[in-house]
Amino acid sequence: MIMGMLLLAACSEPPSDDNRDVYRHSEDEAPASLDPAQASTVYSNMVVVNVFDTLYRYKYLARPYELAPNLAAGFPDVSDDGLTYTFRIRSGVEFTDDPAFPDGTGREVTAHDLVYSIQRHFDPGVRSQGAWLWSGRIVGLDEWGQNGADYAAPIEGLKALDDHTLQIQLTAPYPQLVYTLAAGFSALVPKEAVEFYGREFSVKPVGSGPFKLTSFNSALATFDRNPKFDRGVLNLADEGYRDDLHGTYGLQALDGQAYPFVDGLEIHFIDENASRWNSFISGEVHNVMVPNEQIDRVLTSKDPIELNDDMAERFHKHSGIEAGFVYGGFNMADERFGHHPDPDQDAANRALRCAIRDAFDWQARNETFYFGLGNVFPGVIVPLVPEFDADLSRRSVQHNLQSANQALDEYGWRDQLPSMSYGMPSSVQQRQMFEQFRAQVQEIGFSTDQFSPESFATFGDFSRAIKNRELDLFFLGWSLDYPDAQNTLQLFYGPNETPGSNNFNYNNPAFDALYEQTLTLQPGQQRTALYRQMNQLVIDDCVVISGLSRTRVHLWDKQVRMLPDREILGGFFMRFVDIGNESETAAMSN
Amino acid sequence: MELLSYVIRKLIGGIPLILGVTLISFVLMVYFGPDKTFELLSKNPTEAEIAQVRAQLGYDRPFLVRYAEYLKEMATLDFGFSDSTGERVSSILSRTIPVSLALLAPGFVLGNLLGIVLGLVAAWYRGGWVDKLIMGGAVVGMSISFLVVIVAFQALFGVVLGWFPVRGWNVHDLPSYAYYVTVPTLASVFVALGYNTRFFRAVLVEEINRDHVRTARAFGARPAEILFRNVLMNAMIPIVTRILFSIPLIVVSGSLLIESYFGIPGIGKVTFDAITSGDQPILKAVVGLTAVLFVLILIVTDILYRVVDPRVSLTGDAR
Amino acid sequence: MSDPGIILPAPEPAAARLRPERTSLWGRALDQFRRDHAAITGLAIVAVFFLMAVGVWFGWWGTQWSQALGGRWEGPSGGHWLGTNLLGQDIFQRAVYSTRTAFEIGLIVAILSTLLGGLLGALSGFYSSRWIDSVLLWLMGTLDSIPFYLFVAAVAVAMAGNPWAMHIAMVATFWTTTARLVRGEVIKLKNLEFVEAAHAIGLGQFRIIFRHLLPNTFHILLVQGTIVFVSAIKAEVILSFLGLGVQDGVSWGLMIAESTQEVLAGQYMNFIVASSFMFVLVMAFNLFSDGLQDALDPRRAPR
Repeated sequence: MIMGMLLLAACSEPPSDDNRDVYRHSEDEAPASLDPAQASTVYSNMVVVNVFDTLYRYKYLARPYELAPNLAAGFPDVSDDGLTYTFRIRSGVEFTDDPAFPDGTGREVTAHDLVYSIQRHFDPGVRSQGAWLWSGRIVGLDEWGQNGADYAAPIEGLKALDDHTLQIQLTAPYPQLVYTLAAGFSALVPKEAVEFYGREFSVKPVGSGPFKLTSFNSALATFDRNPKFDRGVLNLADEGYRDDLHGTYGLQALDGQAYPFVDGLEIHFIDENASRWNSFISGEVHNVMVPNEQIDRVLTSKDPIELNDDMAERFHKHSGIEAGFVYGGFNMADERFGHHPDPDQDAANRALRCAIRDAFDWQARNETFYFGLGNVFPGVIVPLVPEFDADLSRRSVQHNLQSANQALDEYGWRDQLPSMSYGMPSSVQQRQMFEQFRAQVQEIGFSTDQFSPESFATFGDFSRAIKNRELDLFFLGWSLDYPDAQNTLQLFYGPNETPGSNNFNYNNPAFDALYEQTLTLQPGQQRTALYRQMNQLVIDDCVVISGLSRTRVHLWDKQVRMLPDREILGGFFMRFVDIGNESETAAMSN
Repeated sequence: MELLSYVIRKLIGGIPLILGVTLISFVLMVYFGPDKTFELLSKNPTEAEIAQVRAQLGYDRPFLVRYAEYLKEMATLDFGFSDSTGERVSSILSRTIPVSLALLAPGFVLGNLLGIVLGLVAAWYRGGWVDKLIMGGAVVGMSISFLVVIVAFQALFGVVLGWFPVRGWNVHDLPSYAYYVTVPTLASVFVALGYNTRFFRAVLVEEINRDHVRTARAFGARPAEILFRNVLMNAMIPIVTRILFSIPLIVVSGSLLIESYFGIPGIGKVTFDAITSGDQPILKAVVGLTAVLFVLILIVTDILYRVVDPRVSLTGDAR
Repeated sequence: MSDPGIILPAPEPAAARLRPERTSLWGRALDQFRRDHAAITGLAIVAVFFLMAVGVWFGWWGTQWSQALGGRWEGPSGGHWLGTNLLGQDIFQRAVYSTRTAFEIGLIVAILSTLLGGLLGALSGFYSSRWIDSVLLWLMGTLDSIPFYLFVAAVAVAMAGNPWAMHIAMVATFWTTTARLVRGEVIKLKNLEFVEAAHAIGLGQFRIIFRHLLPNTFHILLVQGTIVFVSAIKAEVILSFLGLGVQDGVSWGLMIAESTQEVLAGQYMNFIVASSFMFVLVMAFNLFSDGLQDALDPRRAPR
C-alpha cells in the first residue's frame, strides 16, 4: 500500500508514446541554469539554443564553423566606419504558448525582445555570465546598467527602430559582434516570462526555438517540438554538405524538408562514462561520444579513425576536433618564477618555466588520457579557428629533457628549484594527470614534495584560488565562444589580469599593443599576421604549457539521421535530427 | 490529550538538538563551506561583479545575521531558491524525496525482514553449524565495501548479463519500476544484511535465553510459535528502535552513493551535488530537515515503547 | 544503506553487565581468545598486513608506487606481479603502499576517537545528570543526527583540501558511540564499593576517573577501537571515491575509484587487487574484533 503510493509519487515522467519520434541524446553533465543570461557552459548552451532563438546560428555541417541567419533575415547592414549595425528580424515568429502570457498564447517575437535580452546582461540583479561579450562595446549600455538598469530608459547604442529592425551603435569597431549574436547568451527571452517566473525562469524557460521544454531535472530534460517553429526547409548545400564527408549518414533524404523533424527530444545527463556508454550500447540513448577507456576496444585505427567491424555494422561514426583546448598555465605574478623587475632574474625565471614546459610530455598525456586521439599543437591559436598556423614550429610541445636540464644549469637553478603548487579540482583523472606530471618534472630535479597537489572539492573554489593567485601552476580547458583566435588571445591581455580572464596575469606591453591593434581589425591577412605574432610572444615567454585539442568521436544509432556536435558552437544540430523507421534505414544503406 | 501535550513537550525538548545540528552544519557547510561566487561568475569577471554576486549570495553579511536567517528559514520551512539552478528548494525536495523513498524502500524492507529471519534462525540454532554458516556469511558481507558491491553488481547485472539497466530512473509503471530498482536494491540488501543479521541475532539470543522461553521449549511448544510469540514480540523494542533510527541516515547517506553511481535524481544525488557545488540553500534544507526527522523519530519511538510496554508512562521520564 | 555499522551503536551492549574481578576477566578472556581459531587466524592476518605497512614506512618495499614503470594495462608478469594500471604504475606496489595508508587512517582514527570517546564518556558518566553531562549528551545527539557522509564531506570541503580533513571528520563522528558505552559503564562502576571507598578516603575526582574508572572500561575501549578501525578503512574507500578522501598518495579507495572506469574497458586487475587486499584485511580485523568481544563479554561466549 505505502509502496504503491511511493511508486505513484515517484513517477515523474509521462509514459512514452510509441508513435512519436523522439531523439534521445546523451550528455556528460547536466546544465545548472537554462536562463540564456547564464548559458556559459556547453550543457546550458545546448538547451538554450534549442528552446530559444538567436539571431544567428552556425551552419549544420560546415567546418570550421560558419554563421547562418536564424531569427535574423539575412546579415546586418554595417556602416562604412564599422560602428553602426542594422539587423532585420523575421516577422511572424511567435513565442511558445505559456501561462506567462496574457490568455496563455505566445505573442510575436520583436526587436524589442532582443534589446531587452541584451539589457538583462547589464542588470546587476541578473547574475549575467555573458555581459563581457558586449561590455564597453555598445554605446550607453554599460552606463545604463550602472545607473540602475531602468528598462524604460532608452540606450543610445541599442534600440529597436521598429518591431523588426534593431540598430546597434558600437563604441569602436567590433568584428566579432555578429558571432556574439549566435551565442546562447544573446537568445531572445520574453519579458513576460522572466517576470512571471522570477528566479525560476532558469528552470522554466520560455522561448521561440525549435523545441519546448516539458520537464527538467539533473538526470533528464524532455522537450516537445515547437509547433509554431517554421524556418522553412533544410537546404543541405547551404549548410555545408559534402558528399565525401557526410554521404553515408542518410542526410540527403532530408534535403528540402521542413525542420525540426522529430516530435520530441530527450537529453539524458549521464556523468559517468561507463554508464553513458552502456546506456548507448543497450539502446537507451541514440548517441554517445566515445569515452577514452573504450577507444582501444572500439577503434581498429586511430589515423584515420576506423571503427571495428561490429561497431561499424551497428553505428554511424563521425570524428571532429573540439572547438577549444586544454593547457597548463603559470601564475606570472609570482616573482619566484614569473615576471620579475630585475631583467636577469626575469630571464632566469623564464628559463625555469621553459624547462618545466620542455619536461612536460604532451605525447604521454595524449597517449594516457586521450588514447592518442588528441591534437597536440604549439601555442594558443587552436586548430579549429581559421587563423591556425599548421606550419608553426613544434619545438614548444616537444618533450626535451636535455634542453630543460641545460637551461636549469645555465641559469643556476640546479638544487635551487622553488617549491611549487599544482592546483586541480578533486577527481580521479585530475589526480592521475598530476601523478604523471610529477613523474616528468622529477626528471629535471624536482623532488616528490616540491610539486605539491592542491585539490579543491568544488570547481568554484578551484577558480577562486586561481583568481586570487594562490596556485603556481594549474591545468584548465577553454571552450571557444566564437571561432576567432581573439577568443583565446584575450586570455593573455594584460588589463584582463585576474579576476579577469587572464589567469596567468601575463603582462607584456608588446603583446598588449598588438592585441589592441587587432581589436578593431576585420578578418584578413593583416589581422592573422598580428595574431600569429602574439602567439609567438606567448610561446617564447613560456607562459603556458599548451596545448591539446581533443578529438571527439561521436557514435550514433543508424536509425538516426544526423551529424551530432557537442561544442558550444554546435548545439544547433538538434533541429535537423531525424529518426528514420527501420525499413527506410535499411533501404538507405543500399 | 495526554498524548498531545506529551508530543508538544517532546517537540520543545527537541529544540536544543535542532539548534545544535543547525549550528554545526551552518558553521561547516555555510560559513566555511564552498564559495559559489566564482561558479556563478562569467569567464571574465570584474571586481565589481564579484562584490555583486557575493552580496547576492549573502556572503558579505555577519555570521549571526546569516545564522538567524537560517533559523527563520527553518521555522517557516521556506529555504528559498537553489543557488545553482534557481529552482525553488521546496520543489526540488518534493521532486527528489519520493524518488529516493521509492528507490530505497524495497531494499530497506527486504534488508530488515531477511535480517530478522536469518537472525531468528541463527539464534534458534545457536552454536550449531547453521548459526556458524549464517554468522560467517554476515562477517563476509560486512567486510565487503559498499562501493565494491555496487561496481560489481552493476558490471554483473547490467553489462555481463544485461538483465537490468546499467543506470537511470525512467519509471512510469510497475514493470519499469521493477526494472530500475532491482540492482540498487540487491546491492543495498547485500550490504545491510550482514549488519542487520548480527544485530537481530544478538537481540534475539538474549530473548531466547529467558526463562519463560526455556520453559515453553521444555513443554514442547512448536518452535515457530515460540519464536514468533515469545521471542520476536518481546524483542520488538530494540528491533523497532534500530529500524526507526536507521531511516534518516539511510534517506540521506544511503541514497547518496547509490544515486550518484546509478545516476538517479533523488535527494542523495541532489545533496551531493549541492556539497560539491556549494549550493547552500539545498544543504541548509537537507540538514535541517534531517534533524527535524530525528526529533520526530525520537518521539515516535517513545510512543511506541508505551504501546509495546504499557508500564512506560508518557508523563514520567519515558526513557 | 551505507554500512549502517559505521554509524549505529555497536550491536552488543558489551558493557551492560557487571563484571567479575579484573584479573580473572583478562585471564579468562585470554584463555577464551586462544581457543577461538577464527580470531587467532584474523589476528595473524592483521599482523601480516601490519608488517607490510611497517615495511612501507621504512621504505623496504612499495617505494615505486607513483612511478610509471611499464606500459598501460600490462598483464601480470615477473616485473609487475599484478600488472599495471592506466598510467603504467605497478598495481602490486600500489596495493602494498596502500596498506600503510589504511593503517595510518585506521590507527589514527581509532586511537583518537577511542581516547576522545573514553575521556568524554567517563566525564559524562562520572558527572551524570549534571550540566557537563547534559552538554556532552547534547553534543553526542547532535553529531549523531548529522548524516555521516554529509558531515565528512562538509568537513572536507570546509577544510579545503587539508589532508587531515577526513581523519578529523571521522574522529568527530566515531567517538560518540564509544562515549555512550563508556558513560553507561562508568555510571554503573561509580556506585560500586571500591569507588565509594575511594571517595571516602578523599581521593580527588580526576584521580578516581583516571585511576579507578577508566582502566575498568578498557575492555570496551579495546573492542570499540577495533570496530572504529574497520569502519575508518571502509569509510575511506567511499570518501576517496567521492573525491573527499586521501589527498596525496594512494589508497585502496583511490585505486577502486580509478578502476571504476577501467572495469568497463575490461580491465579488472586494479579493481580486483584493491578490493581483495581490503577485503582480506577488513575480514581479518572483523574476526579478530569478534573474538575480542566474545572473550571480553562473558555473555557472548559460545557454550
